Formats: sequence, C-alpha cells, structure tokens
Amino acid sequence: MELDELRRQWRQPEPASAPAALSTTELRQWLAQQSDDVLTKLRRNARVEMAINYALLPVLLGMAWLAPVLWVRLCGGLLALIALVCIFYFHRKLGLLRSMSDPAGDLRAYLLRLTTGLRALIQFYYRFTLAILPLTCLLMGVMALTTTKRAVTPTKIWVIGALLAVLCAAIYLPTAHTTKRYLHWLYGQHLDRLEAQLRELDEVPAA
Amino acid sequence: MSTAPSADFLAALHDYQPLVRRVCRLYCQDPDDRQDLFQEIVVQLWRAWPRYVPQPDAKLSTWLYRIALNVAISNLRQRTRRPTSVSVEDEAWHLAQPTEASAYEPEETAALYRAIDRLSDVDKAFVLLYLEDRPYEEMAEILGITQNNVRVKMHRVQEKLRRQLVHK
Repeated sequence: MELDELRRQWRQPEPASAPAALSTTELRQWLAQQSDDVLTKLRRNARVEMAINYALLPVLLGMAWLAPVLWVRLCGGLLALIALVCIFYFHRKLGLLRSMSDPAGDLRAYLLRLTTGLRALIQFYYRFTLAILPLTCLLMGVMALTTTKRAVTPTKIWVIGALLAVLCAAIYLPTAHTTKRYLHWLYGQHLDRLEAQLRELDEVPAA
Repeated sequence: MSTAPSADFLAALHDYQPLVRRVCRLYCQDPDDRQDLFQEIVVQLWRAWPRYVPQPDAKLSTWLYRIALNVAISNLRQRTRRPTSVSVEDEAWHLAQPTEASAYEPEETAALYRAIDRLSDVDKAFVLLYLEDRPYEEMAEILGITQNNVRVKMHRVQEKLRRQLVHK
C-alpha cells in the first residue's frame, strides 16, 4: 500500500471510539488552565524573579543611602547594582520568550525563531552568571576592608585584592563548567532537537 | 487576556476540529498524549486568534496547519513521562480497521502507519500535508521552503516509506 491509497481513506470520519466534538465548556476550562509548556514556565518564573528584584531594589537603595555603617552602605549599593542588572536581564528574557511563544508563521521561520531565541537566552544567562562572580568577590573585599578593626594600609588593600583575584580565578573555571552543564541540561535537549529539525528542513536536496 | 472564546473562534474551531485531530493522530500514538497535543494546539490557536487577519489570497486552513504543525513539531510541552498505555502496533492496527471505501487489508494499512510513525517529525509534516491533499504551493507556504524543495523532499519521503515497507 502506498500513500496515495492511504490518502483516499485519510479524511474519512474517525472511528466511533474517537473523542467527541469539543464543547464550549471544555474549551473554557482549557483556556483557563495554565499551559505547561517550557516557554510558559520560563515566562512565569522570569516574572516572579523580576518582581522579587523590583521589591528588593528600594530596600537595597535605602540600605545604601541610610545605613550608619560604611560596609553595609557599600554592600547595599553593590547589591542594588546586581538587582538592576537582574531586572535588565529578566526584561530581556521576557521579551525573547514573548517573541518565541507566537507559533504563527511558517515552520522554518518558527524553528529559526525558537533556536535563535534559546541560544540568546543561554548566552545571556551564561555571561550574566560569570559577570556576577567578580562582583561577588568585590563585595567580599569591601566587607573585609570595612569590617577590619585594624588600620587599612595600601599593602593590606593589595593583599586582599590579590587574594580575592586568586579566589575568583580559582572558582571561575568550575563555575563556567557547571553553568554550561546546567544550561545544557535545562535547554540543550530542546535546542539540539530544534536545530536538527531546522537542518533537516534546510537541507537542499540534490537535483 | 479573557478566557472567553469569541464566537468566530468557536465557529472556526468547530469547522476545523477534524483537521487538528488528524494532525494529532499522525504525531501521537498514545491517546493521552494525543489529547494533550490537541489541547495545546487549541490553546495556541486561541492565543494567536486575535492576531489572525483574514486575507483574500490566504486560507484559514493554511494558518491552522502552520500553528498545529509548529506546536506538534516543536513539542515544547513538558511530557508527563507516563508509560505508554497503547503500543504503536495496537494503534496502527486500530487506525487501519477497514472503512467502507477501503479496498486494502488492515495489515497493509497498519504497516504503512507503522512506517510513517518511524519517520522524523519533519518528514511526518510532508506526509500529513500530502494526505490532506494540499497543493505544493500551500505546502511550501506552511513549511517555509520552496515548492521545488517540497517536491523533491516529498519524493524522498515516499521513497523512505517504500523502503521501510519492503524491509518490514
């Protein structure tokens, strides 16, 4: 039997065991439910995380402005800066996810949009995580220098700076490796599959 | 966004529900997975509906095929990982039960369904549009490739199916 023959019976009514026609009530229930696809979950999580950062920002700025102790003020300032970077990241992430969520358009364009979007998300997350690392080290340095009861000399600043630079360099590679593995676990399987489908569609057959 | 579906969306869904069901039938063997996919496609159609602008030279069915295939192929739904309750073998046999117009033995039809099931998701899209009797021009619009490419790829998919049926 070939496809041509199957085509003749393909559009015939489904067997009696097929599900009944969709009722309006059933449809309303579906629409009211939260979709469980990956993009919807990512969007939901990004919104929650962004709201947390928005809520933290005034508290951290207040800390930086009003705290009586210098190191608390410096920490507040640095953490507020990190919160601002996070807010920028989540805005960008939501924008990307919005553009990826629209399934209209031809298959090739849709697959291209999904793969480009996922790649951009992965890159952004990776760079963001690695950028937080020196900021955290800087925060630790500020804390060490401002909480010491001894006199802060230029030599001491250099020693603490060098120690933190070594610490940062030592944890940089494991962090980069772990982040890569985590991102691959999170998105890699979807990305590989979507890219393979795009390649299959793009493959130009020999005449 | 309101969860109340508009009357025109309901009317369109009523008319084209069999089309969406056929897409699900080709992509999912397990009845529960098929129902999940159907639900996801309907939700995505409803979300995209406000942006649908009817055009004189574009069919509503083309728009529906695009969304249904995009959702089925991208498959971003979180699978529940439940064990499959129906095997491909059972389902192929069930789909192959003779209808009034069928002149073929159920076993022949079941073998073809099994061969289709072994194809990649992209190849299944070609098979679906072929079974739906879509012209090459519309297939090219739905898939986003040239008509010539559609023609050659369709030929290759048919060859693959023939080979699989010979080596079954």
